[in-house]
Amino acid sequence: MKQLIALDINDQIYEVPVDPWDLLSDVIRKKVRLTGTKKGCEQGDCGACTVLINGQAVLSCLTLAIACQGKKITTIEGLAEQDGRLHPIQQSFVDYGAVQCGFCTSGMILSSKALLDSNPKPGREEIKRALSGNLCRCTGYKKIIEAVEVASETMSKEGVK
Amino acid sequence: MGVWDKEQYVREGVPPFQDERRFTQVGKSVPKIDSPAKVRGEAIYTDDIVLPGMAYGRIKRCTEHAHAKIKKIDYSKALAHPGVLAVLIGDEAPKKWGMLPQTANETVLAVDKVRFNGEGVAAVAAVDEETAEIACDLIDVEYEPLPVLLDPFESMQRAGEIQIHEDAPGNILHEGEQVFGDVDKAFKECKYILEREFKTNMPQQGFLEPQAALANYDPQNGQLRLWSSSQIAHYLHRQISDVLEMPMNKIRVTVPTVGGGFGGKAEACVNEFVACLLSRKIGRPVKVTFDRSEVFYTNKGRHPCHMKMKIGLDADGYIQAVDFDNTLDKGAYAGWGIVVLFYSASMIHLPYKVPNARFRGRCVYTNKPSMGSMRGLGGVQPRFAMECMLDELAEMMGISPFELKMKNAVESGYTAVNNMYVPHTEYKRSLQKAVEKSGYLEKHGKLPFGKGIGLAGGYYITGTAYTLYMSYKPHTSVLLRVDTEGGVTLHCSAVDIGQGSNTVMAQMAAEALGVHFEDVHIQSHDTEVGTFDLGTFASRLTYATGIAIRDAAEKINGKLKEIAAGLLGCRADHLAIKDRKIYSIYEAERKSMEWEKVVEIAVNTTGSLAAMGHFSPPRRRGFDLTSGKRAQGANIGHSPTFGFSCQIFEVDVDLETGKIKVTRVTESGDMGTMINPMAADGQVEGSIVYNLGACLYEDQFFDKDGIHLNPNFQDYKMPTIMDMPEMDINTLTDSYDPTAPFGAKETGEGAVQPTFPAIVNAIYDAIGIRFTEVPITPEKVLKALKEKKKGK
Amino acid sequence: MFLNHFEYFAPQAAKDALDLCDRLGAKAKILAGGTDLLNLMKDKLLKPEYLIDINNVDEFKGIFYEPGKGAVIGAATKISEIERSEIIREKYFALHQAAGELGSVQVRNMATIGGNICNASPAAETPTPLVALGAKVVISSLSGDREMPLEEFILGNGETALAEGEILTKFLLPEPISGSVSRYGYIGLRDAMEIDAVNLAVNLALGEDGRIIKQLKLVMGSVFPRPLVSEEAPEILIGKEFSAELAEEAARAASSESKPISDIRASAEYRREIVAVLSRRLLQEAFSAAQGEV
Repeated sequence: MKQLIALDINDQIYEVPVDPWDLLSDVIRKKVRLTGTKKGCEQGDCGACTVLINGQAVLSCLTLAIACQGKKITTIEGLAEQDGRLHPIQQSFVDYGAVQCGFCTSGMILSSKALLDSNPKPGREEIKRALSGNLCRCTGYKKIIEAVEVASETMSKEGVK
Repeated sequence: MGVWDKEQYVREGVPPFQDERRFTQVGKSVPKIDSPAKVRGEAIYTDDIVLPGMAYGRIKRCTEHAHAKIKKIDYSKALAHPGVLAVLIGDEAPKKWGMLPQTANETVLAVDKVRFNGEGVAAVAAVDEETAEIACDLIDVEYEPLPVLLDPFESMQRAGEIQIHEDAPGNILHEGEQVFGDVDKAFKECKYILEREFKTNMPQQGFLEPQAALANYDPQNGQLRLWSSSQIAHYLHRQISDVLEMPMNKIRVTVPTVGGGFGGKAEACVNEFVACLLSRKIGRPVKVTFDRSEVFYTNKGRHPCHMKMKIGLDADGYIQAVDFDNTLDKGAYAGWGIVVLFYSASMIHLPYKVPNARFRGRCVYTNKPSMGSMRGLGGVQPRFAMECMLDELAEMMGISPFELKMKNAVESGYTAVNNMYVPHTEYKRSLQKAVEKSGYLEKHGKLPFGKGIGLAGGYYITGTAYTLYMSYKPHTSVLLRVDTEGGVTLHCSAVDIGQGSNTVMAQMAAEALGVHFEDVHIQSHDTEVGTFDLGTFASRLTYATGIAIRDAAEKINGKLKEIAAGLLGCRADHLAIKDRKIYSIYEAERKSMEWEKVVEIAVNTTGSLAAMGHFSPPRRRGFDLTSGKRAQGANIGHSPTFGFSCQIFEVDVDLETGKIKVTRVTESGDMGTMINPMAADGQVEGSIVYNLGACLYEDQFFDKDGIHLNPNFQDYKMPTIMDMPEMDINTLTDSYDPTAPFGAKETGEGAVQPTFPAIVNAIYDAIGIRFTEVPITPEKVLKALKEKKKGK
Repeated sequence: MFLNHFEYFAPQAAKDALDLCDRLGAKAKILAGGTDLLNLMKDKLLKPEYLIDINNVDEFKGIFYEPGKGAVIGAATKISEIERSEIIREKYFALHQAAGELGSVQVRNMATIGGNICNASPAAETPTPLVALGAKVVISSLSGDREMPLEEFILGNGETALAEGEILTKFLLPEPISGSVSRYGYIGLRDAMEIDAVNLAVNLALGEDGRIIKQLKLVMGSVFPRPLVSEEAPEILIGKEFSAELAEEAARAASSESKPISDIRASAEYRREIVAVLSRRLLQEAFSAAQGEV
């Protein structure tokens, strides 16, 4: 049943053998071996497995890998610059203490990126709404919001996408 | 980066060389050392690891019953299924384990009977996860259902008919009493007496990373390696050794990055044993990762408590006596049970002066997944009761709750009647600051109906006085290594579960050695590479590692100063090390050398430098100071020092739907020196939202047969970012405990203590109803409002 | 948590999708957003032998509006697209509100309006406003299309009027009559990611005088196996001048019509109570807004 499909992940084409029932989260983690995408609940309730598909935040635990051919997938590993410099959102998460255990972090950052790409200057309520599908049990969310606000400023100042 | 007010650590008029508080590394909000890897998605958690030849393990669970005899397990079909490598059942590992060796009563997989819904009955190793899951479905288990006991009182009552454990008559794990002073006599002399009953819920830690364990047994040399998402590398190490009947020195436990713990990973976990046993069986690495439902079946969350409390005040409002009765719902197995029981007992002795106190309590088995050690262990429930009652007592007296709490608050140097000693506290200033910042006195009792403000305080231990098994060894040891190649390396097996202990250890080591925090490499999370540490629980790491680090650093500094003294031509004891420089405290301008240069000379002459440092807590005995009598379990609750905090909550109650919206929280805490203020704030903010969830939303539900109804994040409702209140954190920046390393005390669990009662007191202020049960759902609020209207 | 093994089809054209559906019958399931379907499959509550992914069928997607005639929404349109649609916001406000409250951003980017309806969960967000707005569904098969009112399409918890070989392809929303306003509201424990304990939608139109209620539809969700249309509320209010007292009476009537169950999210009693509160609030809100319209 397996078929070879091409997945565009972080601007690289990966040819992976998949079964139709393989979930994108499992393919990314186990076959492509990008383990920054996390599985927290596998039922779409926690947001840890969030990736971007064509720029939109989606849950990779409820997405069939086979349905992702021809789409642009972005995982947390695809955010930093080629030389390893952090994306402004990543940098502000580090600088403003928005990271504790780190398990929600990949999803949080990707949801933030989807937000800032479509709405570069979001208000506090807009940030909250955009991140409401990403549970964090450590931080109490306050520093995450601050980090997104700072990233928004940095990105518009530096013209980062 | 963040805010660091250097001034706050500098005391006027004290020369720098004499000022132990003039820090350069401690007190700085440096970003956590592991966060760059985390934001890149590069941090390796246990489930991310794949070893060559690795197999996947899965546990077959009893999802149909909560209490049943196992009549027969037939796993022949599973074993015959292609890709299945081995099946394990309970009889193969019958040795009982548990956090306290005295009450160890859990087996890896159920033997003869299951005692809670979701208990493991068999396990499978297979070539991939899907095959393992299919194989579990192919195992046939025949059960004979037994009556199910879900309520602790019913459990005690029907114990003659149904016993959950053969060796626990009455279905009681432990029953205890502690008496200090003469409570009955004291009550007779009280002017204000209040008696209330409280009931708490069954929240679960809700860490985002489900438990994962990977074991690799090498049949050639009989060595076992275990990677696991654990808070307690050492206790895990011990219990694996015990259950697998292998010496500890043949086992190495490594903890990869941990995705949160909150006490839920502060016990050995079935997947760890299963991974090890299966790996030993098939001679291949085996990984067992839980799905979310298994996290809930494993539970180890907070004990539901049924509490009766009586508090008496004299005419002036001074507390004279507290009588506390607590029935804890233990769930199916002992685990941390007795410790939690007596922690709850100790919690009535602080943060107020209580001259007479009595505790009666019992930990009762039920057919629910076992409770364990959840953030703020033993404290959250009695703090809820006590702080709500003091609020009510203040009302009876016609004074502000703030005034009543100030009046009774403990001061530095206080010894409680159970001999708990408080070397340092700024609790009163925490109360004052929170009150001032929130405008509590102007708002309390004066807001329109439906809006309210509530105050509560709390405290927590900074590490424990005793190990869980009998031992006199130091609780933490560190090895500091200094050489010309690696620079400074700190070895300690302590585990960072996200709170930032690796960063804090680096800052403290840098401060103690006089270098910069980025110079320090941390080797932690491993029982072989790291030196001994008891574990990440009881808010102990900053204090324990801090003392051990200082101890080790002094030895290294001594050697370096001797060498530098010869080179600089001055006395070694006139030298100080700071900011990568060794200098004479009297002639800093003339006599100074680069630290690195001195290290080079030291290494060239005598070789690499290394020193051990240790921490052993003071062991105060729990006895009645008035009578001199020992009280059972009263050693529990003692700590080298304590953190304190005050929280003030503001709420809006929707009078028609009963929905409570927490709008604002003003906090002020006394945690001594904040080694890393940004990380410390993160602990406080996280704590507030954490227990806000348990107070308003979270609970685990069971049907009448004990079947778990919400083992998922859809119906186990943790706060989302939309539910976050505005938070104003005002941790005291000038608190300094002179007995503590760098002046630092705990915060990770203290800040969850005031949350329940502060919310509940705010709701009272809003609608005039005192809730005594959590969680306070809109439905309960609406019902209470209706009853109030009817004049009940 | 693995899915059962199935064969996967991703047709590009409506005809191909209908053809597959006809050929594979009950052994096939339509994959739209997947947020409900894949969860049911993970729990082994569904084990389809075939999945027909309709996300590539352009004919099933999009929001089209024609003044005077109303809107057509393709069944495979993402909830997030509905949430962002200006025309939906302007003309069908209750649907806009409900779309914005469904799940999380991620779920809204994945889930489709057709999926939300076909999953037929009593607690679903979009059926209530769609019924209140008078939506019809278009059901397609090889033998052609048939239309029916949405309230007849949803039969019960997880049950719809879809027959073998049929696909729900479109929603037809009539042009709102002049002076009408719709509102949606819900009550849950948290402020996001909630499975509603109760949700409710009203669609109210005022006469030209700006006081007399000309038309009213009040629909309750999560209190019955399918969206429940209040019969009494319109009887109480239509033809009358709006007043707080009448709104209260209508709200009480709706509440007594509701037939909720008790579960871990809320008791039946609380749900009934909330129906009354939400009804009154939404009626009031819709009335005030409608006054602004006239």
